[in-house]
Amino acid sequence: MSNRLSGPERRETILSAAQGLFASKGLHGVSVDEIARAVNVSPAILYRHFASKQSLYDAVLEKFSCQRQSYVDTIVNHGTRFEDALAGMTQVYISSIADDPDILKIELHSLLEGNPATLAFFQNRWKSFTDYIEFGLNEHLPYDIPNREKTILTAGLMFQGMVREVLIQKCLQPQDRLIDLSLYELSTELVTLFLRSIGINKTQLSRKATISG
Amino acid sequence: MSDFDSELDASGLNCPLPILRAKKAISALEGGQLLKIIATDPGSVKDFEAFCKQTGNELVSSGEEDGKFVFAIRKAA
Repeated sequence: MSNRLSGPERRETILSAAQGLFASKGLHGVSVDEIARAVNVSPAILYRHFASKQSLYDAVLEKFSCQRQSYVDTIVNHGTRFEDALAGMTQVYISSIADDPDILKIELHSLLEGNPATLAFFQNRWKSFTDYIEFGLNEHLPYDIPNREKTILTAGLMFQGMVREVLIQKCLQPQDRLIDLSLYELSTELVTLFLRSIGINKTQLSRKATISG
Repeated sequence: MSDFDSELDASGLNCPLPILRAKKAISALEGGQLLKIIATDPGSVKDFEAFCKQTGNELVSSGEEDGKFVFAIRKAA
């Protein structure tokens, strides 16, 4: 069957199989031979499409780095209010993981594997949130709240942890006690809880908080 | 090209912050006025193309200077 595939089709097939294997075993747990076997080609043919296992891994990550358009849509369509944009971005991110949880599995493997380039890739994905939260809070948190600087620095990290855990709970380890809550409901509740937890009344924020240019 | 009406430095910021800040900066301009944006996120090239396509503002130029990405956007009339 594989002999009938065109070059681009074969490349896509290899990429897809590699994605599944990297998601279940991580970069170091998979060999080129194993990927080649999964798509019924020889390693030589695989190397015609990808120079190395690392380049194949990079190509898998590249597939997942295309959410930017969706963030632009969010900003254009949801306005610039802090909580609206944060909720919109969260929804985009969560939906993208729900559509293809492999990227979450690959991220968790990469945390254990400790490859600096890969860690930087995933950190950069979260940076959209941490940048946005730090910038927004720095602009709009009252100056007289206790530990303002620490709050701003840690709020992004807190949000990242909450979102990642919700994704793990809903996409990787479905829990009976959360079965009645959809990802959308959970993420909406999460944003509200997050705002409240950093000492901001959402209604109050709605009135005053916009990101200034 | 040097006659910008406003300038926005979004260096070091990830998407969507440069877009958000550009949107706010553009809202303060009159139709036809020109905004210069400096960014370091490589994804900002595609971001601003998409942003201008969706908002009707004109992406007058998009290029690289000294390792940074520089955009000129003219606000729609």
